[in-house]
Amino acid sequence: MKIGVFIPELLRHLFKKPATVDYPLQKLEVPRDFRGSPYLRPELCIVCRACERDCPAEAIEITATNEAEKRFRMVIHNDRCIHCAQCVDSCPTEAMLMDTRFEISDYDRHNLKMEWEYVRAVVKPKAEPKTS
Amino acid sequence: MRFQIPIGPQHPALKEPISLRMTVEGEIIRDADIRLGYNHRGLEKLAEQKTWIQNIYLTERICGICSHSHTTCYVQGVEKLMELEPPKRGLYIRTLVAELERIHSHLLWLGVAGHEAGFDSFFMYTWRDREIVMDILEIICGNRVHYGINTIGGVRRDLDEQQVKHILDSLAILRQRSEYYQHLGTNEPSFVARLAGVGYLSREDAIALCAVGPTLRASGVPMDVRKDDPYAVYDEVPFEVCTADTCDVLGRTVVRIKELFQCYNIIEYLLKNLPSGPVAVRAPRRAKPNEVVSRYEAPRGENIHYIKSNGTDKPERLKVRAPTLGNYAATIKMLKNGFIADVPLIFAAIDPCICCAERAVSLVDARSGQEKIISMNSLKTLSLKVSAGKARKREAEWPL
Amino acid sequence: MATVKTLIYLVIYPGLLFLFLYSTFVEWYDRKLYARLQNRMGPTHTGRFGLLQPIADFIKLMAKEDIVPDRADRKMFSVLPAVGLAIVFTAMLLLPVWNYSLDQPSAISFNGDLIVVLYLLSLPTFIFFLAGWSSTNLFSTIGGARVLTMLFGYEVPLFLSVLSPAVLADSWRLAEIAAFYRQKPALALVNLLGFIVALICVQAKLERTPFDIPHAETEIVGGTFTEYSGKKLALFRLMMDAEMVVAAGLLATVFLGGFPGGVFLGLLNFIIKTLFVIFFLSLIRATTSRIRVDQVVSFAWKYLAPLAILQLLIVILVKGLIS
Ligand code: SF4
Ligand code: SF4
Repeated sequence: MKIGVFIPELLRHLFKKPATVDYPLQKLEVPRDFRGSPYLRPELCIVCRACERDCPAEAIEITATNEAEKRFRMVIHNDRCIHCAQCVDSCPTEAMLMDTRFEISDYDRHNLKMEWEYVRAVVKPKAEPKTS
Repeated sequence: MRFQIPIGPQHPALKEPISLRMTVEGEIIRDADIRLGYNHRGLEKLAEQKTWIQNIYLTERICGICSHSHTTCYVQGVEKLMELEPPKRGLYIRTLVAELERIHSHLLWLGVAGHEAGFDSFFMYTWRDREIVMDILEIICGNRVHYGINTIGGVRRDLDEQQVKHILDSLAILRQRSEYYQHLGTNEPSFVARLAGVGYLSREDAIALCAVGPTLRASGVPMDVRKDDPYAVYDEVPFEVCTADTCDVLGRTVVRIKELFQCYNIIEYLLKNLPSGPVAVRAPRRAKPNEVVSRYEAPRGENIHYIKSNGTDKPERLKVRAPTLGNYAATIKMLKNGFIADVPLIFAAIDPCICCAERAVSLVDARSGQEKIISMNSLKTLSLKVSAGKARKREAEWPL
Repeated sequence: MATVKTLIYLVIYPGLLFLFLYSTFVEWYDRKLYARLQNRMGPTHTGRFGLLQPIADFIKLMAKEDIVPDRADRKMFSVLPAVGLAIVFTAMLLLPVWNYSLDQPSAISFNGDLIVVLYLLSLPTFIFFLAGWSSTNLFSTIGGARVLTMLFGYEVPLFLSVLSPAVLADSWRLAEIAAFYRQKPALALVNLLGFIVALICVQAKLERTPFDIPHAETEIVGGTFTEYSGKKLALFRLMMDAEMVVAAGLLATVFLGGFPGGVFLGLLNFIIKTLFVIFFLSLIRATTSRIRVDQVVSFAWKYLAPLAILQLLIVILVKGLIS
């Protein structure tokens, strides 16, 4: 046991740059594959509803607005979303993707809602869905 | 003079709500009582309404710090139910994340131990270096806390060469820093004086009270699910079970620091021997009626999930026994005849995760000391019976 | 003229205004240093380099709701912070800062003022104890008991170590002690051991790590201050900071040769020397972990007291040699 074993380490850091970042003024980069918020590319969505079914937070809502024209409306409730990216994994056509935004807080939870209205796409599923 | 002091449910030493009632004589604790139930979230019931896949993310949220432990434990159970054989590469990555999580959890614990002992500089430095492992996890999984890497039948993301290199580089820094903390933790006189001899739990007591994890190993019992009942790829990976025989908080610190070095070795081995191939297999949506118990060595000790399926796409029952629950009985033993000043340290030494452990309502009868589990219905009738005919109390006294 | 001087002395320097501003500065210095030692940033945004942060904290606390617990002794509870602050500010007046001449180094200077300063510095400890006791909260009560227990440990070594330079200088008057060591700087080295002991004791008196036992937040919440809020807490915090200034000033006077040089140079001297002492106090705070209250007492009597007595012996020997 020695007295003051920590002192050299402490003094060494006295004039070093702090390890912390001045957050709101200075921001760190997030990695490439960061799981931010999900978004839809409506031109690819075949309305298979796999994302709606697998979303653990029940944050995705798909409704038909016009059966005949095959128009659909998808709402992602970002206030409920837990950013797990399961919808991205479930989607057979890669219509669902994640961005890297993480500062999405808002005063009103309704502002977090994202909506798309689109005609059902006719594309072949590219990749086999990882979980059917 | 004996009096009772309440620690919690709201107390700066506790990051989560739990109530410890301490009967003290001056500075010495004569009796302790733990009360749970402030953080019951009804997760098990909720799990019965979600599909197998949705439940991965639900179990992940049982705990923030050992989130991977709970999902792995759950996913392993479900894989057994569905008779799936995840590919080797998937298992390697799963184990890799598990060990990274152990590193971050142990570094976190070291910092918390420092903070509880009033050693804030130690806390700041360990947490600063914990950022390194958090960054690795973020790069691999896409998030710092809820990794979401597990899926039924494997893992969701693959590793590339660059990431492997990054991990190995960061590991060298971490190893060097951990050596420094070992040196520091065992040499700073005021810190050692606070840890040594505190919270004694003899080998016999540890076994009798079913302690788990580092608490058990610090009492000299070499028990580790990774060795005793290997899951994932632990039967291929060489590592040692770390123990200490001082039976006190210092021993628990030593065990955790030793485990850190084991983690570094394991990760190096995993990355050097990473097999190629797919990372996951396709999983069916339903599982045949069956039941399974899955065990997992979380950073805090043995984690057990019991899963029952009934042929649908939802589990019929999910039961979680988090490691902290296994350590409560031992904690009471450790607290008795200690100092008030040591309460935070002793309690922190089991690395409590209160949210994890909150499962059912358990009532302790104050007079007989008997515990009984009560269903919600009988609880309701009980409460109606007790409160019936009584006037509302005003200026109620704090029940000390 | 004398009245003006006294007024300036009481209100501006080194009295109220200076002590208030300097205390907040010292808090900033301590926080910034502590943060930098821990590789953090510390106060950054309020004022330049966060210099105004302690004042902002003070104002914020002053504006907060002030709660007196029902069961507390109302009068005692409310009056204690003010009394404590007054005591510490009085102690400040005794330090020989305004050094016109040795005959009149400060407004009040008399033979034996060293003892009075030490006594005035003991009183805040009792104030803390009373504050804990009168708020009747369990945590406060335990904190109060701990304050007193600790007092038994560090008070005697502190007295012994501060008295030994006085013995060597053959005076009980702060100004004379300081003047003595200014004339013979080499003799100040004799007191090195005493300086270390006194530093540790002052750390204990100020209840900073490793001796922050009475308000160890992880054990007993706010300890003595658990029930204090708003203005009263603000005053208490100011009092702690001022106490740090006074204690550092006392050590600087006794061990480091006081603050010569008239108004401006003297002020500069005061600031440099107190900051020097406080640097060590911050370093101790960053290096150690909190010990237990029983460990404080045994540490104080096993190590500090014998060392202080050893210092006294050395001083007596040296005194025999030089005379
Ligand atoms: S990220 Fe997860 S929670 Fe959010 S919408 Fe997709 S599946 Fe649902
Ligand atoms: S899973 Fe993909 S294709 Fe199917 S509904 Fe969702 S976004 Fe559209």
